[in-house]
Amino acid sequence: MSVGPQRDRLGVPALIGVTIGAAIMVTPLIWTLLLSFKSNAELMRSSAAAFSGPYTLENYHAILVGSQIGRWLLNSLIVSLGTTAGVLILSSLAGYGFARLDFPFRRTLFVLVLLGLAIPEQAVILPRHQFFAVLHLHNSYPGLILPGLVAPFAVFFMTQYFRAIPVELDEAAMLDGASRLTLFWKVLLPLTLPAQATLGVFTFLGSWNDYWWPLISATTSDRFTLTVGLASAQMNYAQTSGLGFLMAQAVFASIPILIVYIVFQKQIVRAMAGAAMR
Amino acid sequence: MNADGRARYAGFAFVGPFLLLYLVILIYPLLLGIGLSFDHADLFGARRWAGIDNYVRLLADPVFLRSIVNTIKLALLIVPPLTLIALLLALALNRATRAAAIFRGIFFSSSVLSVTIVTLIWRFILTPDAGLLAYGATALGLAPAPFLSDPSLVIPAVAITTIWWSLGFPTMLFLAGLQQINPDIYEAAALDRAGKWTTFRRITLPSLRRTLLLVVMLQTAAQLQLFGQVQLLTGGGPGGASRTMVLFIYEAAFGRWELGYASAAAELLFVLVLAITLLQYWLVTRREPER
Amino acid sequence: MRRLILAIAGALLLGSCAPRDTRVEIVVQRFFGECGAVYGHSTDVAAADTECGILTTLINRFQAENPDIRVKVNVVAWPGYPQLSAQIAAGDPPDLVTMHQSTISDYQGRGLLEPMDGLLAEAGIQPAQFTDAARAGVVKAGRIYGMPWDTIGRLWHINTRLMAQAGLMDGDRPILPHSPAELLAQARQFRARTGKPYLIQAQVNAPDYHVANLYTWLIAQNAVIFPDARHVRLNTPEAREIVTLFRTLNAEGLTTRNQDFPAATASFTNGDGGIFPTGTWMIGPYDKEATTPGHPLYRAYVVRPFPRLWGHEAAFVDGHAWVVPGAERSPAERRAIARLLHFLAAHEFEWTRTGQLPSFRAVLAMPRFRALPHRADIAQMAATGAQLPDYVQRQSAIQGLIGEELEAAVTGAKPVDRALADAERRVDELLAQIM
Repeated sequence: MSVGPQRDRLGVPALIGVTIGAAIMVTPLIWTLLLSFKSNAELMRSSAAAFSGPYTLENYHAILVGSQIGRWLLNSLIVSLGTTAGVLILSSLAGYGFARLDFPFRRTLFVLVLLGLAIPEQAVILPRHQFFAVLHLHNSYPGLILPGLVAPFAVFFMTQYFRAIPVELDEAAMLDGASRLTLFWKVLLPLTLPAQATLGVFTFLGSWNDYWWPLISATTSDRFTLTVGLASAQMNYAQTSGLGFLMAQAVFASIPILIVYIVFQKQIVRAMAGAAMR
Repeated sequence: MNADGRARYAGFAFVGPFLLLYLVILIYPLLLGIGLSFDHADLFGARRWAGIDNYVRLLADPVFLRSIVNTIKLALLIVPPLTLIALLLALALNRATRAAAIFRGIFFSSSVLSVTIVTLIWRFILTPDAGLLAYGATALGLAPAPFLSDPSLVIPAVAITTIWWSLGFPTMLFLAGLQQINPDIYEAAALDRAGKWTTFRRITLPSLRRTLLLVVMLQTAAQLQLFGQVQLLTGGGPGGASRTMVLFIYEAAFGRWELGYASAAAELLFVLVLAITLLQYWLVTRREPER
Repeated sequence: MRRLILAIAGALLLGSCAPRDTRVEIVVQRFFGECGAVYGHSTDVAAADTECGILTTLINRFQAENPDIRVKVNVVAWPGYPQLSAQIAAGDPPDLVTMHQSTISDYQGRGLLEPMDGLLAEAGIQPAQFTDAARAGVVKAGRIYGMPWDTIGRLWHINTRLMAQAGLMDGDRPILPHSPAELLAQARQFRARTGKPYLIQAQVNAPDYHVANLYTWLIAQNAVIFPDARHVRLNTPEAREIVTLFRTLNAEGLTTRNQDFPAATASFTNGDGGIFPTGTWMIGPYDKEATTPGHPLYRAYVVRPFPRLWGHEAAFVDGHAWVVPGAERSPAERRAIARLLHFLAAHEFEWTRTGQLPSFRAVLAMPRFRALPHRADIAQMAATGAQLPDYVQRQSAIQGLIGEELEAAVTGAKPVDRALADAERRVDELLAQIM
């Protein structure tokens, strides 16, 4: 892994800047954490209570003992993992096709895919809902996973990554008699593992945090994903009388993602390298 | 079909599955939406041809026009600082030390949160009554600024929230871009006794050109579609001062059930985003030598 | 021999089939939050607290008392309308769902709700049993489209300790104004003597607040707000007077500013101001404060309906109701729904412990109800409470539009008549678009 031109020690002004920046980044998170460890009753009087006084685990207890949290977590996992697997497979195939193979309308189709980045979700969400209703796809895992598989950025990303792999590898493999499929599956795909990791993490993230589509597609509470379920558990005026609980939910819903990120951190940066080339 | 012919069409086999889903699940609803934009329609199936009525009404609607202004203002306030800060961070953190890795993790951590959580957190930072900033201000003897209820403060407040939230991804892209630069060039420059600033201007920046374009294009497209923060943090207020185009679309569709009107606004947004990102692409790549 | 074995095998097979759940199932959808952590399957309604707790235990109890019906409860985030609309559009709506009375006309106008005259009769419930306010809220075009569950009113929550300090108490009764001029005078006096704002108002991100004020005092003057289903009248002298009063309060610092609802609520709890106009739903939490020694509101809390500043006494109310989205249902399912409605109606008193007003006359008259803290002071709202005419649709969206303009007028960002004119224009446009 190549490293930049900087000397090993960061200049003092830069170090100060970065430290201040990091403090600004982290402060809101710490604030949230503090609020989540206070009782709702105390916070109703003043949120400054978070700075001191008795801390409690009651909000987390309420989440864990709550009736359907396990179910929601499971639903989120199934949908997010399913979406991630689907996106990785489809975009790898498509990326290879766009990067290496020549077929009619290749450029046009690629541009068509890129156009997808400009389409706002609100423009398609309601027609898509009506369309899925006709197909009886609501309140089901496929109904939640299919829209997530349409990821123009993923295709773009994998295309760039495949393009960065030297063509000589292809030629060497073909000379050895490999078919196109074998070439893809056995030779090139393994080389893209860092990219797969990155794309996987971002896809998982996007799917995990998705709110509007699951809200209107999965409408029975045993099909809720975690984000929708946590929102439904909030009482009216939750910000007044249930602030601690709300913040605990925020923390709770973020933990799986943070874990995923920490585990895959290295792969992510390495993979970005391949895609940003060219 | 001979081997050549087969090879020509092999590509379709690979891009086919994705394209099929793409057409069915994104393009088809998009076209349905375009069709809707030429109708008077409500949420439950009532439809009546409207021609360009929706578009005419939109362009005369001061609330919609204001939302366009707000959307562009926000994008202008977010994208340049975000790009600059991400670039500086990437430059500073592009080293193999443990500390750098920890810092990188910190700057990325906000990106993993969902928008509902981010707005929840920032409401209790920005609100003048119980927010963190308010406590800080009173500690310094200043009056807490009403970020969410002052029309001139609300857009910068949303911008700051968004920059805090979105730093991770562009920083990563820049980091990756930096790591692609051949270290030999830097060695050569050092041998030539080139100063830091010259190195940056003549070597680093031009090499990052593609990454820079990518970051700016992606972020512009994303921020022009800003929605969650204004819906949850400000409700578009005060008095519509922070209503973005996507919030306008959402309110028309879910709040007033004016599906046709909302679809027309969505199409106009689509055109805006497309035009701006294509413009950016053209401006930057036209000066590149042909490869 | 072979036949015997086959017979035994057959019998075993049949016997080993798991019994299918042949109970009739109804799906009940509601907001109010999820509190399974605290209440689980508890059926002890009397011990339950909060909207969520009381409703959860009520439904649990119904389930326990009616084992032949399976009730599936779907909790949705408030207000649940994007989901309900999506469910109806997908052809799979719940059987019974909570809906604000102000929203009923939206769905009823499109023919998406079932008229409930028959169901209510089957449940043994007569419309004459509802209070006037409740009945008005659920009757549309001559038919009943919901069982009213409560009436939500707006009141002045008053900190009597501060009022006493300001010289605005008559014994243990607060002195309230009878005209706009008196209001301003008393507010100034309050501020002079206590140094605190007379009113605590949630003015940020709370369109319902300003609109409730406007509607209340327009109704008090018998002003026609919606002459027909397609028009609103807001740029009138009466409306201008009302809005100008609130603008003056802001300008002179006689009220809190820049507060959203959570902030205003906390502010009143901490004794930062004299009066907090908000809803019946806060009676529960504030009463708790008033009975906790050491807290600013301890023994210093009363509620009153909105004072009569113009015209006669009036209150703008809304309410919750149970509605039945249109769908194919079996007679068994309909009977189950009727039984649940009957049960809920019979236990409405428990629900009123939340602070909301009852929708059944019998409960209103109950001594037990009157004995609940502060209820006697506000019971009249169930009679004087008025809603918008039943032909007005999209009331929630309209509230958002008008609220936005009023916020601008009251904070001084826009001149009052321009704000009212803009509000009129936007609402007229919205109403014109309804299909």
